[in-house]
Amino acid sequence: MPRIARTASTGIGIAVVLALGLTACGSSGGDDVAADKKQTLTVWAMGAEGEKLADVAKVYEKANPNVTVKVTPVGWDVAHQKLVSAAAAGSMPDVAQMGGSYMGEFSELGVLEPVDTKTFQEKDFFPAGWKQGEVDGQAYGVPWYVDTRVLYYRTDLAEKAGITKAPTNWKEMQDLATAYQKKAGTKWGLSIQPSGLDTVQNFYSFLYSAGGEIVNDKGDVVIDSPAAVKALKEYGSYFSKGLSNKSVQPGYDVVKDFGNGRVPMFFGGPWHVTLLNEGQPQLKGKWAVANVPTDKSSVSMAGGSSLVISKDSEHKAAATQFIKYLTDTKGQADWYKRTKDLPANTAAWTSGDLANDADLQIFKKQMDTAKSSPSLSNWTEVTDKVDQAIAKVTQGKASAEDALKTAQSQIEGLVK
Amino acid sequence: MSTTTGKAAESAKVQAGPGTVKSPAAGPKGSRSRRKPSLGMQNMAGWLFSTPFLVLFLVFMAVPIIATLVMSFTDFGLRNVTHPLDANFIGFENYTKLFSDEKFLKSLFNTAYFVVIGVPLTIFLGLIVAVLLNNGIDRARTFFRVGFYAPVVTTIVAVAVVWRFVLDPSDGLVAGLFSEVGLTAPDFLGSEKLAMPSMIAMAVWRNVGTVMVLFIAGLQAIPTEVREAARLDGASIWQEFRGITIPLLRPTMLYATVITTIGYLNVFEEPFVMTQGGPSDSTLTVSLNMYREGFNFFHMGYASAMAYVLFVVIMGITVLQLRLLKDNTK
Repeated sequence: MPRIARTASTGIGIAVVLALGLTACGSSGGDDVAADKKQTLTVWAMGAEGEKLADVAKVYEKANPNVTVKVTPVGWDVAHQKLVSAAAAGSMPDVAQMGGSYMGEFSELGVLEPVDTKTFQEKDFFPAGWKQGEVDGQAYGVPWYVDTRVLYYRTDLAEKAGITKAPTNWKEMQDLATAYQKKAGTKWGLSIQPSGLDTVQNFYSFLYSAGGEIVNDKGDVVIDSPAAVKALKEYGSYFSKGLSNKSVQPGYDVVKDFGNGRVPMFFGGPWHVTLLNEGQPQLKGKWAVANVPTDKSSVSMAGGSSLVISKDSEHKAAATQFIKYLTDTKGQADWYKRTKDLPANTAAWTSGDLANDADLQIFKKQMDTAKSSPSLSNWTEVTDKVDQAIAKVTQGKASAEDALKTAQSQIEGLVK
Repeated sequence: MSTTTGKAAESAKVQAGPGTVKSPAAGPKGSRSRRKPSLGMQNMAGWLFSTPFLVLFLVFMAVPIIATLVMSFTDFGLRNVTHPLDANFIGFENYTKLFSDEKFLKSLFNTAYFVVIGVPLTIFLGLIVAVLLNNGIDRARTFFRVGFYAPVVTTIVAVAVVWRFVLDPSDGLVAGLFSEVGLTAPDFLGSEKLAMPSMIAMAVWRNVGTVMVLFIAGLQAIPTEVREAARLDGASIWQEFRGITIPLLRPTMLYATVITTIGYLNVFEEPFVMTQGGPSDSTLTVSLNMYREGFNFFHMGYASAMAYVLFVVIMGITVLQLRLLKDNTK
């Protein structure tokens, strides 16, 4: 069969990690080169950020002629593996972008330099952004940009269904979803993920708004709390009432269906604004964003990326300067212009579009209360258990109570 | 690591392709005999010439294979990526844990299901197509051969796009056909019962081409005299097929069955791109499970044990097949 023997390839992967690991005996702190000496900084950044950062680096080099910034763009799909391999080989870049979900793992690997809290202050950033870079109360990453999920909905179809304002609470959201289907003739009412990897990201807006969480600040597992059960019941009801599609394929992109009116409502990130403007120009003026509908309050998930310095770096001083440049008020506003990434630094929101654009204010308001996930090294495994619980409910296989009870005991075994 | 799989798969394809081994033409008789170098020298030269391969083999095959075996007896986890020597030996714990791990047992069952249904289907369809093409018109033959072989060389990503369109429950190809006759199409990838059959359909479609090429080569190796003799004796088409084609294709059939089985026991790509093992693990195969344990959760020791269990299973089944299907008349 024309197929690679996966058995061997996994083995090779593991062995490479092992072999590399053996050569990276311990980490010598290395002599740090002073920030103003001639030196080259290596920086890894992912996806769209990786492509845009090179331009910023050029500007930075002009202002700091002694420092050469070498930016390596890394695709998100391979980022995690590349970073793990680099950590194993002791060849981490001086500066790397890290998704919030990576922080726990890499601090566990012991390859991250704690943040210099004299230079970077918690109060300058969104609380959820700062928290993402923290592991066990120690900051390892400086928040670079943040993202959160808000509700996108079709205003034209809502009017057709006789509703003229954004839903503010759970009941109004479900009423709107029903009206879309019944009166505006849409195929679905709301697009939320039924099962599969990272379903939990859709569920967070429900879970947090009900006052629940997976693991609380004390480190206790609380996924079977009454609040969480209530949230999952609400989430599941969209499927049992036929308002949401029970079967969504991996990698499903909601933008097209939002454009053709099949899906009139979904939870999306800031990048969806750009996707809709560019990909569905005919929709202009026919959609709006709204804050996550409330149960107890309106709380969404926080995502985004932090910038970390590698423990082995010999250019920590220069790396700190470069990160400072990227995360201060001016750098953040400039970065927003280039990428439309939401600034993690709150002071960047006081001028220009960031201060005046109504849609962006919705994101800002959501960001003020957004919650980030705890930085546990096995967080992927924890959320996998929650994904499974959600799937059981959306597929009508178990009640919310039972599914979450199972998840609770599974996760308790993982979080010690 | 994972990025090289494409290339590796390409080279695997090359190896899996039917090798036409030409027997070296006999040299002209009476050529002047040169003085043979001494045996030791000859050996030396042989080793010297194979050094590049041997080095590569040791570094990229032997070392990882042994490292994986060692790892499978440890609790190698995330932290050990940077501190490999801190991993603890835990004896057979990973192996014993495997057989009480519901997820693993389910993945084992899914893989078995995939093989038991998929292999006969692939072999049977490959044979049918090969026989039909072997007797067809020349020009059509080339066209169909290319058509059937195209999926084999198409990248899985493109295949996934096509199959998603085929299987999409709301505006897919099959859904369209169903609605033509007034029926609602089932949700293939969203149903636990139908997801695996969909994977099998995909895999069969992707691999029939390989088997077909093997069989065509086998068919063309059957001497025409044998067929002519049968026809002179008044054999019907069916008799000819049963009495000549099938027996003479035995070696080809054995080879095709063995490599298809090995491939299907390793099935990873289809569920990885289409369902990620869902819905509720109904398409989770051993390879996919291993990948997730190793690279998503970093249970490297555990994943290594899984790799070795899969290796033993494949080894056992292959040996069994060779024993059962071998031509006993020889």
